[in-house]
Amino acid sequence: MRRWLGAILVTLAMPAWVARASAQAPTEVRIDISGAGQRIRIHCEALAPAADAAARSLAGQADDVLARDLEWSAAFLVTRSATGGVAPGDAQAVVGGTLTVAGGQVRLRGEVSDLPGHRPILSREYRGGSAEWRDIVHRFADDIVLQFTGEAGVSRTKVAFVGATGRDKELYVMDLDGAGRRALTADRSIALSPSFSHDGSLMLFTSYRGGGGPRLFVIRQSGGRPYLVSGRPGLNTSACYSPDGREIACTLSMDGNSEIYSLDARGGSPRRLTNHRAIDTSPAWAPTGREIAFTSDRGGSPQVYLMDRDGGNAHRLTYDVDYTDSPAWSPKGDRLALVARTSAGFDIYTCRSDGSDARLVVSGGSNENPRWSPDGRHLVFASNRGGSFGLYVSDLDGREPRRLDTGGLVATSPAWSPRPEGSASALDELGTSHSVPGGRP
Amino acid sequence: MKLPTPYRIVLTLLLAGLPLAGCVKKPPQPPPAPPVTQKQESVPTPPPVPAPKEEPAPAPAPVGSGDFQPVFFDFDAYTLREDGRTALDHNAKLLRDNPNIRIHIEGHCDERGTAEYNQALGERRAQAARDYLAAAGIAAASMDVVSYGKERPFAEGHDEAGWQQNRRAQFVIRQ
Repeated sequence: MRRWLGAILVTLAMPAWVARASAQAPTEVRIDISGAGQRIRIHCEALAPAADAAARSLAGQADDVLARDLEWSAAFLVTRSATGGVAPGDAQAVVGGTLTVAGGQVRLRGEVSDLPGHRPILSREYRGGSAEWRDIVHRFADDIVLQFTGEAGVSRTKVAFVGATGRDKELYVMDLDGAGRRALTADRSIALSPSFSHDGSLMLFTSYRGGGGPRLFVIRQSGGRPYLVSGRPGLNTSACYSPDGREIACTLSMDGNSEIYSLDARGGSPRRLTNHRAIDTSPAWAPTGREIAFTSDRGGSPQVYLMDRDGGNAHRLTYDVDYTDSPAWSPKGDRLALVARTSAGFDIYTCRSDGSDARLVVSGGSNENPRWSPDGRHLVFASNRGGSFGLYVSDLDGREPRRLDTGGLVATSPAWSPRPEGSASALDELGTSHSVPGGRP
Repeated sequence: MKLPTPYRIVLTLLLAGLPLAGCVKKPPQPPPAPPVTQKQESVPTPPPVPAPKEEPAPAPAPVGSGDFQPVFFDFDAYTLREDGRTALDHNAKLLRDNPNIRIHIEGHCDERGTAEYNQALGERRAQAARDYLAAAGIAAASMDVVSYGKERPFAEGHDEAGWQQNRRAQFVIRQ
C-alpha cells in the first residue's frame, strides 16, 4: 500500500538556489520515499569526461566513488550505466554531470533530475585542486543526500581505529571508504579506545607507550606528536570529550578502584563522578551534556547505567538485555547503542535513552564498540563475523553490515569523526559554485 | 608399510612414548591404538605444583620471572580461587627469600568482554594478587600493578582452555 500521506515533497526542503540554478525550475518534484527502510531508486550516469585524457582516467574512479557514496548513504538504491545508458524503468532520479581537469584543477558539474520527467533537482559546480578530487565527489554525494533526505551525507567523514601489527596496536585514521589510510602512532605499544573531539580535529586515546600502565593522550587527527592528558597512578583509560569540549570523561583508578572522573580539557582538575566498590568504566557523554552513560558491574555483572553529569542519579539503563557494555549516544541523543553478551561474544542493540524499545542491530560472532555516524543513520563497529576482527557498518535497517577496507589490518575500536568543517554549510552558500578549502581559487 | 611384528611393536611403543602434547592428529599407521597416550588437552585449571626443588643447589641461581607462579581466575571474576592462593603462597615465599626483588603484577583477561571493561577487570585481578601478598607481609612498595586487559593474551585459543590461560595475574620482575 502506498502511503501518500508520507510522501515527501522534495521541494519543501529545497533551498532557493536550486530554483535559481535552473531556468525552468519546476514548482514541485514529488518522490515517494515513504515506508521504513525505503530507499530511493537512483541511477548514476557516467560523469562524462571532457576531451582530455587526465579527466577520462579520473572520471571512471569518480563514478565509482560517487555510486558507493550514494549506496552507503542508505538513502538510495543505485544503478549505474556508461554514458548514454538508459536508466531502469523504475528509477526515480538520475545523477550525471561533467568532470574536467585543467591546470591542476578539477571541476565537477553535478546534475540530478527526477524520472521520468527529467526535471532538475540539483545542479551545482564543485572545484578544487586535482589532489582533492575525492573530496569534490564526496561533496556532490553529500549534497544529493541532503537534497533528498534533508540532512547531508557523511561521505567526507573519517574513521579512526586500532590496527594490530603482531602484538602491537597502533592508531589509524582513514576516509570512510578506506582511502587515505595512515597510522597516527608508531609506538610499538598498545593504543586503544580513540574518541574524536566534537570538531574532529583532535582524538583522545589510551596508550601503553613509554612503558608502565595505560595513560591518556591526545593527538591531532592530522597526526604529529601525542600529548599526555592523564598519567595518574593506575588506569587512565576510556576517555571522551564533553559536547562543549571543555571537559573529558574518563576512567581513572588513582583512588584504588576504577571510577569515572571528569577532567578539564587539558587533563587537570579531576572530579570524581562515581563512588562504588564495583568496576565503573566506558563513560559516554550525552549530546545534551547533561548525562553520562557508563558501564558498571555494581549489580553483579556489567551493565550500562546513566547518571547526571555531576555523578548523581545513577540508574541502570535497560532491563531488556543482560550483560551490557560499551554505551554510545546517537547524535541527537534520543537513542543509545550498546553491546549485549551472548555465548559467541556480543550482539549490538539500540534503545531509547529511557531504556525502552531495545532493537537488535547485529548478531553473529562478536560485535563490539559500536559508534554512531554523525547523521545517526549508521553504526560502525568491530566484529570477528568474517574471521579476524575488522570494521563493519550497519545501516540500522536489517541489511547485512558491510565491511570497511582497513587494508588487511586486523582492526578494532572504531571511532567515527564528525563532518569536516564546512560540509554542513552547503545550504548557506546560495551560489552555484563551490570550491574546496585548500584548492587554489 | 609392512614390518615384521616385533618391529611394529617397537615402533608402536616408541610412538606411544612420544610426548603428544602439541601433536593433535594421531599417526594413522599403527593399528593398535595405544590407550594411554590419548590424554585430552589438560583441563583448564591445573593445580599449581608446590615445586619443592630439592636439588642441592650448588650456586643459587638468580630468581627469574618464570619462578613466580601465575594466578588464574574464573570468567568475569577477580576473587582468588584456592589454586590462586596456593600460587600466591609460593610467590610470597620467593619474595620473602629475595627481599631485593621488586615485581610488576600484570592483570590479564580473556578475549570476551570489551577492551575497556577488561582493562578494569585486569587491574582488579592484579590488585587481588597484590593485596593477598601484602596481607602475607610483603612490602607494598616492592609491588606495583598494571593491567593489560585482553591486549596481551598468553594463549591464542578461542575456547575455554585458551581463555583460562589468559585470565591471570602474571608476575614480572622489575629491572
